[in-house]
Amino acid sequence: MNRQKLKKLGLELPLFPVTSVGSFPKTDAVVRARGEFRRGKINAEQLTEIEREATAFWIRKQEELGIDVLVDGEQYRGDMVAYFAERLPGFTNGGLVRSYGNRYYHKPIVTGEVKWTEPLTVEWWRYAQGLTKKPVKGMLTGPYTIMDWSFNEHYPDRKATCMALAGVIRSEVEALIATGCKIIQVDEPALSVRPEELPVAIEAMHRVTDGLNAYFITHACYGAFDLIYPGMLELPVDNFDLEMSNSGLDLLELFRRHRFTKDISFGVVDVHSHVLEEPATVRQRVEQALTVVPKDQLWIDPDCGLKTRTVEEAIAKLRRCVEAAKAFRN
Amino acid sequence: MTLTLAHSGSYPRIGDSAELQLLRRTIAGFDRGERSAADLAEAENQMTRLAIEEQAAAGLDVVTDGQIRWNDPVSYLAGKLAGVRINGLLRLYDTNFYFRQPVIESRLQRQGELAVSDLQFAREALAAACKGKPGSRQVKPVLTGPYTLAHLSLAQAEELKALEPRVEAYAEALAAEIGALADAGAETVQIDEPSILLHPGDWQIFARAVGRLSAARDEARKRGRKIGLLLYVYFHDCAPIYSKLAALPIDGLGLDFTYNRKLADAVVESGSPIPLALGLVDGRNTKLEQPAEVAREISRMLPRIAGDSAWLGPSCGLEYLPRDRARAKLQLLGEIRSAVEGR
Repeated sequence: MNRQKLKKLGLELPLFPVTSVGSFPKTDAVVRARGEFRRGKINAEQLTEIEREATAFWIRKQEELGIDVLVDGEQYRGDMVAYFAERLPGFTNGGLVRSYGNRYYHKPIVTGEVKWTEPLTVEWWRYAQGLTKKPVKGMLTGPYTIMDWSFNEHYPDRKATCMALAGVIRSEVEALIATGCKIIQVDEPALSVRPEELPVAIEAMHRVTDGLNAYFITHACYGAFDLIYPGMLELPVDNFDLEMSNSGLDLLELFRRHRFTKDISFGVVDVHSHVLEEPATVRQRVEQALTVVPKDQLWIDPDCGLKTRTVEEAIAKLRRCVEAAKAFRN
Repeated sequence: MTLTLAHSGSYPRIGDSAELQLLRRTIAGFDRGERSAADLAEAENQMTRLAIEEQAAAGLDVVTDGQIRWNDPVSYLAGKLAGVRINGLLRLYDTNFYFRQPVIESRLQRQGELAVSDLQFAREALAAACKGKPGSRQVKPVLTGPYTLAHLSLAQAEELKALEPRVEAYAEALAAEIGALADAGAETVQIDEPSILLHPGDWQIFARAVGRLSAARDEARKRGRKIGLLLYVYFHDCAPIYSKLAALPIDGLGLDFTYNRKLADAVVESGSPIPLALGLVDGRNTKLEQPAEVAREISRMLPRIAGDSAWLGPSCGLEYLPRDRARAKLQLLGEIRSAVEGR
């Protein structure tokens, strides 16, 4: 593990730190309030107050469970790209497009120069960190993913769009660091969609993280990693947070062929299944992880954000992660 | 040389107004048990009619049914075949769209028509959209090709675990469907094979499958049917295998020009022994092309293309765009044709 870096940042984490990927299910109160807000029955301040209460609930819950590196649970976010696009000059809200089945989303359109004019996530991070002594991660969506999941009508090509967004995300990283944030996750779930563009994603991440003093994590999921591994290890981050369990740990084979050189947040529970894994299943997955990475490189978490599960299912899955970490620490 | 305006496949099944959200509402109601299967079918019919009306209004010569009934390009067809179970979600190529993956559990077999009734409905809808006078306008059925279906499927059946027999099994089913579509009066059938662009190493397997489909076309022609087979490839750079694609026993080749600006150079340089469908209007980005610029590219290529007609269309289906932009892209096709014709 990049323990030295964490130590320099003043962070002492136990072996097998337990974290989570970002989103938690919206509490019933938040779901109700979002509906009332849409219908004009409550105002933005009232909605924010309910989101703050829900954030406090999730911070408390993570502490009770014994999680080591916390997230704010994203009670105030909808889509991981739209949240940023809606707040950045240069973006226009696009019409509905289908993502699968009967699910649709408003895909943003880059219609002008994208600019960072004010912090986008800092106040939420400050609030969440104020509720706990444990470290809370700063949570951002990466430039390559924002580019790939948006239309572009302004920049000449995908790379130019991506690099402009990298400058924006860097400004947000700097703002988080200036506020005291020490662990920052920059999600790139689109990382493998065009393997030939991996160098673009890497160059963009350099622009986001180079020379900045924080422990960086990136999360990627449901991708064709076989096409970008081991090249993806060039991404300038300390920790890869990877969905492993949904795909039957098939990435391990890749890691056997070419050593995994970074810290890894290893997904040990499937977030797209209602079924709660047996403790033994989770322990076996940790054992499997330890066959490819040394123990001081291994973090434990769910495959992906838990927002599609119920509150009870999410808590139960997080508990399994903590139990497994404790079993191996002993 | 004439330029025919032809759609390339899917069309948005939603829009921003409440009226255009009919299908979404009905599916949600159906899932909650509040709406019947007949309600669902009628909502699909209504959105299909609208998709065809918008294509006709934009002046397209060749329309599709917008694939409104298709859950995705893979499971709609595969799910109608015996021996297939539809499984979980997977990302479709480099889109942010997810399809349900077919799992072949036992012998894969066509057990009924796949797209014939959709064709018949679409023709009636086109006639209605043109007030009973469709003239030379035609509906083009679209089928996802055997190589792509096989590539995006899993197999539990031992004999289909290797790619080649899986491709062959899908090719048999689709060959029968091509015959049925020809008998139903289809003049052209579009076969989508995006996967071959990503896996050109499978060329032999792919080419044999195309051969099986063209044999079905030839058999239909012997029965006196008038049918042409169009192969469409998109979602990746077509240039590396362009010449091989153009040499296949097909009646037209649809190309996506958005991944490599030099593809037009390759067409100019090598020419084309068969008519081409020119996917020069980006079906994946909202930015509207400049008609004059696109017209210049077309004018450069047209003299090098065999046949007396080329098709102009979007680079892929338009479902990846919001409805207002999809409609604008269709309108653009007519503007580009006018620019080519110097009007």
